[in-house]
Amino acid sequence: MFNLATIYILILAGVLMVGLVRYRKLTVPFKLLTICIIFTFVLEVIGEFFAFNNKNNSFLSHIESLTNYFFYSFTFFYLFENKQIRKMILISIGIVCVFFIINALFIQSFKKIFPTNVLLISNIFYIIFSLLLFKQMLRNPSNMSIIRQSIFWFNTGILIFSTTMFLNLGLIGYYAEHHWGKGSLYYFWAGSVYTFGILIGFSLLIDNKKANTYNG
Amino acid sequence: MGNEDIQMIVLIAALLFAVVIGFIIYFVVLYRNRQLKNKKEQEEREAVYRQEVLKTQIEIQEQTFEHVSKEIHDNITQVLSFVKLSMGTLGNTLDDTKKAKMNESRELIAQVITDLRDLSKSMSFEHITSLGLKKTIEREVEKLNKSELVKTTFLTEGQPYSLGEQRELVLFRILQEALNNALKHAKAKHFKIDLQYQHDLFTLSIEDDGAGFSRELLNNKSGSGLRNMGNRAALIGGNATIDSAPGEGCRIKVSLNPFKQLYIDGGPHPNSVS
Repeated sequence: MFNLATIYILILAGVLMVGLVRYRKLTVPFKLLTICIIFTFVLEVIGEFFAFNNKNNSFLSHIESLTNYFFYSFTFFYLFENKQIRKMILISIGIVCVFFIINALFIQSFKKIFPTNVLLISNIFYIIFSLLLFKQMLRNPSNMSIIRQSIFWFNTGILIFSTTMFLNLGLIGYYAEHHWGKGSLYYFWAGSVYTFGILIGFSLLIDNKKANTYNG
Repeated sequence: MGNEDIQMIVLIAALLFAVVIGFIIYFVVLYRNRQLKNKKEQEEREAVYRQEVLKTQIEIQEQTFEHVSKEIHDNITQVLSFVKLSMGTLGNTLDDTKKAKMNESRELIAQVITDLRDLSKSMSFEHITSLGLKKTIEREVEKLNKSELVKTTFLTEGQPYSLGEQRELVLFRILQEALNNALKHAKAKHFKIDLQYQHDLFTLSIEDDGAGFSRELLNNKSGSGLRNMGNRAALIGGNATIDSAPGEGCRIKVSLNPFKQLYIDGGPHPNSVS
């Protein structure tokens, strides 16, 4: 398990480097994404440190789930042109924040339990935003080749991550209920997050505010 | 955890990945199609815009020609006629030597009046409207041959039919541009004009034996008149080909479908079948 997590941290470090080096050239949503990666990287490193010392790090997962949702949602916020969708994103942040507090205090204690409920709800929203963003791209296609569009790679990364993570989190609960081990699920998780990290890194690598295809 | 459970996870994960990847591939294909469709629509919009600009340019040019033509006919030639008459009256009071000089001047003025009237006619589109393309070209050819600057041959094949006022006017202006270029720049001595009236194809061919020009000329600034011929032909739904080489004269060919409904017409062509 340690090796898989270390690879993830290394991928995050690489993505972070790309984001920081190209920060000035990035559009607003991708600057936000870089800040998000900074938070994720720091929290993951601290989490690994806690895990290495056999300490409970679930409170870090709670914080990470909320900060990630906050940053990813605002990234989507700047990528969308439709005002109603933007408003919906702001409302969703409020909903997730309220649910986060209720969940952390009453359902999945932030001191002991991994916040799967918050992640499940977040991923549902991510999938909705991702599909809506694909729809927006189709409605107003840019002349630029799709493989050179950072918005496409970001959105693809989010969709792959959210759909697979949604299944992953669902199976974790199912396996726990039946007292089964979770070895193969971690490989599945690793595949999802590695793909996500690489795609996000690529989107940061090609994003350029001088040639952006959206209003960010 | 048993093998069956692992197989189940692998199967579900593989299916999920396949669905997501399939969706993304489908999206990319769809996006590419939209891009191509948008590009095509944009090109069509630009073509319509270019045609609109060209149509406006031609309208303005025709209005200017008409105005200048009327000024020549109603003002300048009238004044010159009056001068000619006055000189005739004045000539009666002069001695023979001066009278002869005066008559010479009167003849020159008469020639100028005739030339100006011809110029006025060739500038006005009223002749195209009243005489049609073939007769108007015939008159132009007569004028050219009379000038003895060039020898012009005019041929017609097939039964002439009307192409519509707008098209005939544009074709006539193309012809004028070609003749003007050949006289002014190429120093041509022979012209050959050919009108072919086929059932579903009309062709205007203009050939000269002038200095000719290289292909590069069409692409630079000084070739704008030649390019304009192509644009004008496109405006009436035709296709212009210009073939020339240094020392080999120039051949211009404008072909069009006489029954094609056109944007420039602003509505269906009288003979339109579409």
